[in-house]
Amino acid sequence: MQKNTSTLLQTYLQYQGSPFSDPGFSAPELQLSSLPPAAVSFKTWHALDDGERLGHAQGAFLALTQHLQLVGDDQRDLNPGSPILLAQLGAARLRAQGLLGNMAAIMTALGLPIHPEEDTLGVVAFGASAFERKCRGYVVTREYGHWTDRAVRDLALLKAKYPG
Amino acid sequence: MALFSAFQTTFLLALLSLKTYQSEVLSEPLSLAPESLEVSIDSARQCLHLQWSVHNLAYHQELKMVFQIEISRIKTSNVIWVENYSTTVKRNQVLRWSWESKLPLECAKHSVRMRGAVDDAQVPELRFWSNWTSWEEVDVQSSLGHDPLFVFPKDKLVEEGSNVTICYVSRSHQNNISCYLEGVRMHGEQLDPNVCVFHLKNVPFVRETGTNIYCKADQGDLIKGIVLFVSKVFEEPKDFSCETRDLKTLNCTWAPGSDAGLLTQLSQSYTLFESFSGKKTLCKHKSWCNWQVSPDSQEMYNFTLTAENYLRKRSVHLLFNLTHRVHPMAPFNVFVKNVSATNATMTWKVHSIGNYSTLLCQIELYGEGKVIQKQNVSVKVNGKHLMKKLEPSTEYAAQVRCANANHFWKWSEWTRRNFTTAEAAPSEAPDVWRNMKSVQGHCVVTLFWKPLSKLQANGKILFYNVVLENLDRPSTLKLLSIPAPANGTELTLDQCSYQIHVTANNSVGTSPASVIAVSGDPGNKEVEEERVKGTEDGFCLSWKPQPGGVTGYVVEWCERPGDPLCDLQWKNLGPNTTSTVVSSDAFRPGVRYNFRIYGISTERIPYLLEKKTGYSQELVPSDNPQVLMSNLTSYSFTLSWKDYAAESQPGFVQGYSLYLKSKAARCLPGSEKAVLSDDSICCKYKIDNPKQKTFVVENLQPASFYEFFLTPYTSVGEGPQGAFTKVTTPDEYSHILIRIILPMIFSILLIMILCYLKSQWMKEKCYPDIPDPYKSSVLSLIKSKENPRLTIMNVKDCIPDAIEVINKQEGTRKSLTETEPTKPTYLYLLPTEKSHSGPGPCICFENFTYNQAASDSVSCGHVPVTPKAQPSQLGLLTSSENGPKALGKNYVNSLGEIPAGETNLNYVSQLASPMCGDKSSLPTNPPEPALCSEYKTQMAIPMGLASPPSITLLDEGEHDH
Repeated sequence: MQKNTSTLLQTYLQYQGSPFSDPGFSAPELQLSSLPPAAVSFKTWHALDDGERLGHAQGAFLALTQHLQLVGDDQRDLNPGSPILLAQLGAARLRAQGLLGNMAAIMTALGLPIHPEEDTLGVVAFGASAFERKCRGYVVTREYGHWTDRAVRDLALLKAKYPG
Repeated sequence: MALFSAFQTTFLLALLSLKTYQSEVLSEPLSLAPESLEVSIDSARQCLHLQWSVHNLAYHQELKMVFQIEISRIKTSNVIWVENYSTTVKRNQVLRWSWESKLPLECAKHSVRMRGAVDDAQVPELRFWSNWTSWEEVDVQSSLGHDPLFVFPKDKLVEEGSNVTICYVSRSHQNNISCYLEGVRMHGEQLDPNVCVFHLKNVPFVRETGTNIYCKADQGDLIKGIVLFVSKVFEEPKDFSCETRDLKTLNCTWAPGSDAGLLTQLSQSYTLFESFSGKKTLCKHKSWCNWQVSPDSQEMYNFTLTAENYLRKRSVHLLFNLTHRVHPMAPFNVFVKNVSATNATMTWKVHSIGNYSTLLCQIELYGEGKVIQKQNVSVKVNGKHLMKKLEPSTEYAAQVRCANANHFWKWSEWTRRNFTTAEAAPSEAPDVWRNMKSVQGHCVVTLFWKPLSKLQANGKILFYNVVLENLDRPSTLKLLSIPAPANGTELTLDQCSYQIHVTANNSVGTSPASVIAVSGDPGNKEVEEERVKGTEDGFCLSWKPQPGGVTGYVVEWCERPGDPLCDLQWKNLGPNTTSTVVSSDAFRPGVRYNFRIYGISTERIPYLLEKKTGYSQELVPSDNPQVLMSNLTSYSFTLSWKDYAAESQPGFVQGYSLYLKSKAARCLPGSEKAVLSDDSICCKYKIDNPKQKTFVVENLQPASFYEFFLTPYTSVGEGPQGAFTKVTTPDEYSHILIRIILPMIFSILLIMILCYLKSQWMKEKCYPDIPDPYKSSVLSLIKSKENPRLTIMNVKDCIPDAIEVINKQEGTRKSLTETEPTKPTYLYLLPTEKSHSGPGPCICFENFTYNQAASDSVSCGHVPVTPKAQPSQLGLLTSSENGPKALGKNYVNSLGEIPAGETNLNYVSQLASPMCGDKSSLPTNPPEPALCSEYKTQMAIPMGLASPPSITLLDEGEHDH
């Protein structure tokens, strides 16, 4: 899944034109207010308890599934002749939903409260210009990768705590 | 002064009041000024929409007015646009006017004001400008939000090659902003400290998904951009055309222009408008549209096809008369009737295209895939056409199509029908040939004929009739009917001459007869065979013309020469022909074909003229001969390959190549060097005569190893590479030696046998017995003469040997010379009375080494005896064991140095007679007794080295008695 997120980001950037497709393109400060960033200091992350950690991840993936759907729609409009990209975006959304299901099961097993599914996108999503939509897609695919990495760490820590 | 002041004040007041009056007077037209001016913006189209009204118009009054509109940018003094807009104004009517800005409206603050004037001839007195409205400010920037950077215009759609103005609005003063078009930095002009404008000229089409333009701050990740959708120039439709097939519906078609290049942003629409009827239809398809013809018999149509997208509108026009654009439907009810062997009639019907119109129909007749007849016929409703000159029993296809005869527009589709003509009697006689052979006094004639071609047969051949006419008895006729598809028959005839008539028959009739005659003489006279060279195109055969009396020639050959069926072929040629090319797909490379050329006499009797043989393509020989070697000598051997079948090779064998490998570097005369396929070098003899089947390899070296290999060659090359046969020539002298040695051995054996048989004689001659003096007759002679002086020496007469033993003091070393004064002690081995006889006949000799061999030769019984030795046989034998030791010591020590403490044996020999023991010579002169003046000591060699003394003693003993 981690490898797929990296591939998705590369594919996504490749189809957006300059500057996105320029080699080494990176804009870490670009963020979306509707999508929580995955970046967190190690100390903060470590200080979280299991419930908080899983809660953050679950919230993020809830947002990510909606954002990936949005990016898929955007790209169907902007890049209708790119079935590879559209397929990868669709697959990423399904993976995010799968992970979300797994996390919900874990949280239920641990007796933790589960975030209710809410509309994180709101009504602002449709007014964006083409370039903004490209940027939005970049942030979503990038954060999808970061959140996947973080979720892997979360679950690894959980596994260490509850072996077997 | 005060008065002056008061006057001045009064004047000013009067002036002021006048001004006020004037303004009141002038304010009357002010009521026609534009009022309620509102400005709205359309960011996507970069348009300012103005709307206003003129209130002070009389009810129902309608005036022409002109409005002057001023647009300023950034500040009101910077007027960038002034336009006079004329229109008719009604009371309280909302007037609208739009202006498209080159610069995105977000890039700068715009202000608009306007004034109006009546421009109507009805009220010329009001032709003056009203006051300006107040500036209406349009400031989009203030509503942008708080983002640090904006780029405008967003998602703009332009055509390729147009000019676009772009700007960014930055809220941050610290950061430098750079802007890029697809990665290439753009340079713009600063509109104000926060706004920079870029003018893009002649923008290119980059990709379907648009061109990215973005700006970013030098520091941080701040990046903002737009996508500029650049479409290709929208082209007008091409090849716009309309036609009708049934005068009810018009079908209009066109080729749309090239794609705009954008995937989703630009959709095209096509509209068809007919100006005479004023009807309009929106086309559902991109390249065609149907139009219902109005029932009111409208003849003329003027169409306008409009293609439109977001950016551009394109139109094409077409004006035509409906009857000139008729594309008739395909003819129907098409039939071919009354089909005979040579004629057929075609009928058809057409769809009417109007009451008075005529159709032009085209008929095409196809035979074997080609157009053989073409005809045009005018038709109203029913069409009819007679097709002549057809071939019997042949398949044809006839097709018809029609077009408007008065105003040709397009042909209809073809309507096609197939038919077959009836049969007729065969037109040509079959091509007949014969093969003759004589079997048991009968003439067996095999007749062959070729099937008639389709054109000649005129139908299906059912049988062949063969009529035999006996020329000797002309009244006798014999008829044979052979069913098709036979292509020959065998007839057994007597030796009489016959004329044979062959005809082919189909269901309608009989063909002309083919006549061939056979005579008692088969005519196969012996003719020498000539060789002919074939090519890819076949065999070119030529023959000598026959002087008169020839009605034609026939060339005959077998296509499968090795096959018993042979597949006989023949070719008929005219009487004036003397050459022909025989070609066939059946000819194979490497197969020998034999051709016979016959002349046909006036009596239709064929007679053999020439024979030819050849290959269509010669190949290299398929196998090599089995070579037998004979007559092997030291210098030559003979090869023969008489069994080799050169005739069955896939080419004419022109000769043979003999390869000879030897160790000799040079090739022998008659041969030349050749390199084999395995790069080995050998000598090659070329045998040019293909009939030569033996070859003598000469000038070889005796006792040498040779290898040879023989292969035939044709004009193409040599036979397959085979194994070399090894041969070694015999030695030059061996046979000579055998001739000499064998007789020699034989003669030696003969001599030996002779010698054996005559051995007694040989013995007497070669080695007679040595006479014993005692048995000699001489002895009796002596005795008879009583000569006392003549005696035979007796061994006993010899003085025996004496051994001198010398005792030496231990530790003293004395040389032999020093020992001389010492008196020797003599040990007398043999007690002899004669020892005291004093000086006797003796010969003294001096020898430092005593050799047993010498003693043997002398055989005088001088026996070296060790001091311990007893005068017995046994003692001598025993003493021999110490021999080698003593010998070694004696050889080590010099003669003059005798080790101290050793006892040496000095041998003193006293020979009675020097002749003693010499049996070969008779003692003719007995030795005179001489004084033995001196006797020297002798050093004895121990017995071990000497011959066994026992033998010596025995010998001596023997001689004793």
